[in-house]
Amino acid sequence: MTSEVKSVVCPICGCLCDDLEVTVENNEIVKMKNGCSVCEAKMVHGYKSEERILKPMIRKDGELVPVSMDEAVKKAAKILTDAKYPLLFGWSSSTSEAQRIGVELAEELGSALDNCCSVCHGPSVMATQEIGIPASTLGQIRHRADLIVYWACNPWTSHPRHLERYTSFTDGRFEKSEWKSYMQKMKGDASMKKVQAASKRIIGSTIPAMRPDACALNAPPQTMQKEGRKLIVVDVRKTMTADAADYFIQVQPNKDYEIIEALRCLVGDQELDVDTVGGVKVEYLKDVADAMVNCEFGVIFFGLGLTQSAGRFRNIENAIALTRDLNRKTKFVISPMRGHFNVTGANVVFAWSTGYPYALDFSQGYPQYNPGEFTTIDLLRRGDNDATLVISADPGAHFPKAAVQNMMKHPLITINPDMNAISRLGDVVFPTQWCGIECEGTAYRMDHVPIMLRKVVEPPKGILNDEELLKRILAEVRVIKGKNPDTETKAEVKERNKLAPRIEIKQRKKAKKVEVA
Amino acid sequence: MIILISKRKFDVPVQAACISPDVFKGKTTAEIANMPVTEGNRNLKLGDLFEIQEDNLETPYITINGDAGKVKRIGSNMKTGEIVVNGDCGMHTGEKMAGGKITVNGNIGGWSGNDMKGGLIEVHGDAGDYLASPYRGTATGMKGGVIIVDGKVGSDSGCYLHGGVLKIKGGAGRFLGYHMSDGVILVDKEVDVRPGACMTGGKIVITGTVEEVMPSFTIDSVKPKVKIDDTTNVAGPFYVFLGDLAEHGTGKIFVNKACNPQMKFYEKYL
Repeated sequence: MTSEVKSVVCPICGCLCDDLEVTVENNEIVKMKNGCSVCEAKMVHGYKSEERILKPMIRKDGELVPVSMDEAVKKAAKILTDAKYPLLFGWSSSTSEAQRIGVELAEELGSALDNCCSVCHGPSVMATQEIGIPASTLGQIRHRADLIVYWACNPWTSHPRHLERYTSFTDGRFEKSEWKSYMQKMKGDASMKKVQAASKRIIGSTIPAMRPDACALNAPPQTMQKEGRKLIVVDVRKTMTADAADYFIQVQPNKDYEIIEALRCLVGDQELDVDTVGGVKVEYLKDVADAMVNCEFGVIFFGLGLTQSAGRFRNIENAIALTRDLNRKTKFVISPMRGHFNVTGANVVFAWSTGYPYALDFSQGYPQYNPGEFTTIDLLRRGDNDATLVISADPGAHFPKAAVQNMMKHPLITINPDMNAISRLGDVVFPTQWCGIECEGTAYRMDHVPIMLRKVVEPPKGILNDEELLKRILAEVRVIKGKNPDTETKAEVKERNKLAPRIEIKQRKKAKKVEVA
Repeated sequence: MIILISKRKFDVPVQAACISPDVFKGKTTAEIANMPVTEGNRNLKLGDLFEIQEDNLETPYITINGDAGKVKRIGSNMKTGEIVVNGDCGMHTGEKMAGGKITVNGNIGGWSGNDMKGGLIEVHGDAGDYLASPYRGTATGMKGGVIIVDGKVGSDSGCYLHGGVLKIKGGAGRFLGYHMSDGVILVDKEVDVRPGACMTGGKIVITGTVEEVMPSFTIDSVKPKVKIDDTTNVAGPFYVFLGDLAEHGTGKIFVNKACNPQMKFYEKYL
């Protein structure tokens, strides 16, 4: 049986494109429209991987042995309650509903709780707390932005539809798409290459290029003066996005902070004593500062090149300060290019339930927050925790060796749909459903807009989704701790409900009213 | 004098804000052993983790022997007395300290001396990141007191410094004295990039080397010597930089002229 599902939300990157059209045949996705290559790789092929985990497993004598769900849940709850300081990590590819249960579980256990943003955009969150953030939704940017700056990110490969849906190559209400001029530039470049090759064959040497390579070694090109949308890319190497840009500034690695600082001085009409900053001539930076001040609505998108290079959250703090300074002269916003589809959601959910977005610790019975102290990598490198639960993440493939080695010294529980590096190392391995393909839930786009993920196909039999699975583990933990939900007193329930979100309380009140009626 | 000897090696962090001369004053060893601490998420008594002995000598008031590398908040809120740690010491040591002295014969963890108002911390080893820096979101850090480190310090030391003196005999990491508004930082060896970023006041004295100062600093003069505190002057000559211009700041960075020939080009602006 073939059916077509429209308006499917893509559960890959922070763009959360919600215009996918998926063809389902015999409970399998066979074809899709509108998605990028990354999306197609996961939604048409990836989720059907041969490495899919279909049964819970427990490590016995060094081998992973399939067991019943009850046994695995009991074992996991035992590991977590026996530990003096467990760590719950992951969450960014999970639904917000599951993340909420995760916070409840961490509080019950008195554990550390952290999400993937501690290795990606955590610094952005910290900088926002230090200085605030002038931000807007992507819709505003799409309709109004006439200067787009991609700083230390490469959306062409990491968020393939970002340019097409929200920035340069989209037709907004007040700004037109730059797609045509980009195509002309590409054609021009291609024909120039042909001319060069021909001249090399005939004359023996190449002729000088008509259009200088738009890079920081040269002054900003004439196109910087043009009407309409302008695109500036700042990066350490010439990426695909840089090819599409009107002006590309190539900075020396780890010198972004200095460039931002110089731009802040120039925007504030200060003179600089130096001639070059971070490998870029100050006179070129002056032109860039002019372009920034003279735009009507500018936006800076920044990526991991800024958050994870030397300076980390200070880079972002300075970039936000630059945006603040620019707002004295024009309208400017700044936005992080969040990676996983619900990593923003993890921050949002943790923040509304505890007050803090990540790097949490419940060991004292109340939430504490301190990146550097409770962030996963720091915690693991110091070897502070004595059990780990990893959900919807693969630290086995991405964490430093010392961190993974320390993680392996203690029991490890994993919750992932397929057999990735960390699942192979786990002591208790749970299967789960693919969020946004096999189960629905809420996810937050990179600009903090919540979008409902859709269920497209039925999950394999017997596999629970993240939320159901965590609820079972939480119930089991409560039983071990002597807090059986069946025997809980009214006062205890009241205390627990204080932390529950208002929506749930409202829903319960509504249900009661209906009952009474 | 109270001597605390750790009973075993701690594998998860221990929070022991009660280890402070002000708290121990006038208490018997049995009472001290009964004070609450946490090991990970377990609520325990101090006596469960440390063997507690009493000595008739008056100072130092508390001596900690054995493994204290994961013991956090030693000497928190301390006002008088002295603590000697023979070995490494965990994070947040001497936070909100207002008086007294802490001596660490080993390395010290991050966020030590944060929100310090007075007193002295002496470290005969290295210090972690965020030495004398406040918690996230706090706009003023250390307000008074002295911290002396024999070894090197990590990144972001002396952030939001608002008073007091940091004397570092080794090197210092990135963002030394970030956003500082008052106080003095003296570093004797190499300083990593971006010292004094966003500073609005105070001074950083680098008698060792630094690769460059931020582009948002401007050269002011060359001075033969600089005053650290009432008793210490350091001889130069020093390049004096003013900044941070991006914050309209009037902080000063003194950079040793002899050790940093790469800064000679600034002399053309004098």
